[in-house]
Amino acid sequence: MSQSGAVARSPLEQLAAASGRPFPHLLRARETTREGLEARRITLGQLSHDEDVAVVLMGSWGRAEVTSGSDDDFMVVVRGTDRHGVRPSITEVESVLTEGHGDHGTFGERVASDELTGRIGLDEDTNTNLSRRMLLLLESVYATGRDLYETVTAELVDRYLAESVKDLRVPRFLLNDVIRYWRTMCVDFAGKEHKGPEKWGIRNAKLRTSRKVLFAGGLLPVLECSKLPRDEMPDFLTRQLRMPPTDRIAQAFLTYDASDAGGRALGAYDDFLGHLDDDEFRAELESVTRDTSKESAAFQDAGRLGKDLERGLLALLFETESLPKLARDYVVF
Amino acid sequence: MAVPVSSASRFSVLRSHHPVGASTGYMYDLRGDWPAQVDQAWQVSPFAIELSALAETELDSLAGYLASGPQLPFRYLSIHGPSKGRALPEPELVARLGEVSALAGGIVMHPDTIEDPAPYRALGRTLVLENMDARKGDGRTVDELAPLFAELPEAGFCFDIAHAWSIDETMSAGADLLDALRPRLRHLHVSSLSPELHHLSLTEDHEELFMPLLRRCRDVPWILEAPPRDP
Repeated sequence: MSQSGAVARSPLEQLAAASGRPFPHLLRARETTREGLEARRITLGQLSHDEDVAVVLMGSWGRAEVTSGSDDDFMVVVRGTDRHGVRPSITEVESVLTEGHGDHGTFGERVASDELTGRIGLDEDTNTNLSRRMLLLLESVYATGRDLYETVTAELVDRYLAESVKDLRVPRFLLNDVIRYWRTMCVDFAGKEHKGPEKWGIRNAKLRTSRKVLFAGGLLPVLECSKLPRDEMPDFLTRQLRMPPTDRIAQAFLTYDASDAGGRALGAYDDFLGHLDDDEFRAELESVTRDTSKESAAFQDAGRLGKDLERGLLALLFETESLPKLARDYVVF
Repeated sequence: MAVPVSSASRFSVLRSHHPVGASTGYMYDLRGDWPAQVDQAWQVSPFAIELSALAETELDSLAGYLASGPQLPFRYLSIHGPSKGRALPEPELVARLGEVSALAGGIVMHPDTIEDPAPYRALGRTLVLENMDARKGDGRTVDELAPLFAELPEAGFCFDIAHAWSIDETMSAGADLLDALRPRLRHLHVSSLSPELHHLSLTEDHEELFMPLLRRCRDVPWILEAPPRDP
């Protein structure tokens, strides 16, 4: 809320105005997320909580992109080390978050913050630990335990900025982990395909769209740190990462004078989200395999929208005034 | 009407853009030989191509070529649908375009060749409408294109920047087209024009004149409608 009392427009809404491209599905999904989150906060808040525990929602909740088919992907985050008898228990949380959760092993578990912040790199940083850490950082929102959630995410940002970070330079440790996570998702997609064709279509479509938004939404704020003295980076990153990824991306398109391209890129993503809210479209994507993908209109549409999104993001990174130099200096090596 | 070529070396927004590709529409000597046209386009760029079946009679051979499963390097492939020699009823033409559309990022059509927009809705997002040059009586400006886009809400826009120049050399009409149709923009046709309004290689002076509008289109493929000028 501004001092004049007018409601400040989000970067996404500003981009819609600047580009002439409305984002009705994204804005509706934000509203659905807000309403759903409010309801879940009330119900989960009735569960008995230890002081050092937060229930955190991930995925579409963290991106503020909840649609009719969204899961309740959650973690129970315990500050410090794990222990028995944590309240609320996973069973208690699951009695409230009834939409189920994907990727068993990553979600629906108790997670100690020491493992997220203390095990970065080397053998002990498992695929699951990396996924949880990156999702906490890039697309999460608290359902309960706001202070604890903010403390743990700030500790995580501090951990990435603790070493070798200089004024007016991109923090490479964090940058490398963000890029590593994106590449991990791509490699894991191939790994899952090798195991079987189930859900190939929806995984592929999401890799081209929402996973790309997740990656770009992390990459762009990290590159922006090159404009800041070191002591301003933690606050900047924390503020950025509390915004939905589509706001971070919209802000970058506006900052780099590429609003037309931004309107088209996020416009394509908006169309994809609208399709995803359609049961028939989603069901077709879920049943498509590599062998049937050429005959699937839904998959072909998702592919074209993913390309439009990707071209916009690449134009932002490689054909605007100053970002191409940063991308060249930091993103490849 | 022709713009003189300056000998001075200038920044080239065209050379810094990606992806750029060739339209096979300018390969008159190779008409009908799709592998040869593809080879020539490949020499220009392995990233984008527009396969032009400008005469309706070319559509069957193009479909046959694509059905043969050629290994193509291009990451963006569009097809320019027939703009002359039209004989097929529109629903049949659209059905044939639909058969090749799964392989294409866009099917470009001239708006003045569309009599009934209804059958074209079946092409969905794949259909892309191009603004026309000054020789045509329709499809040139925002006002002339608006009724067709209203009938085809999913259709994209192919901005032919030289056609816009032929309407208004100040490029103000071009800016109006981009202002109104930018959310639909899918790709660009890039060239200069002869006094008879035939496509020529983009001149340096035109590139400079077009630059403010080209900069607004950095996220879409640019298709050259004439051979690239010598470096």
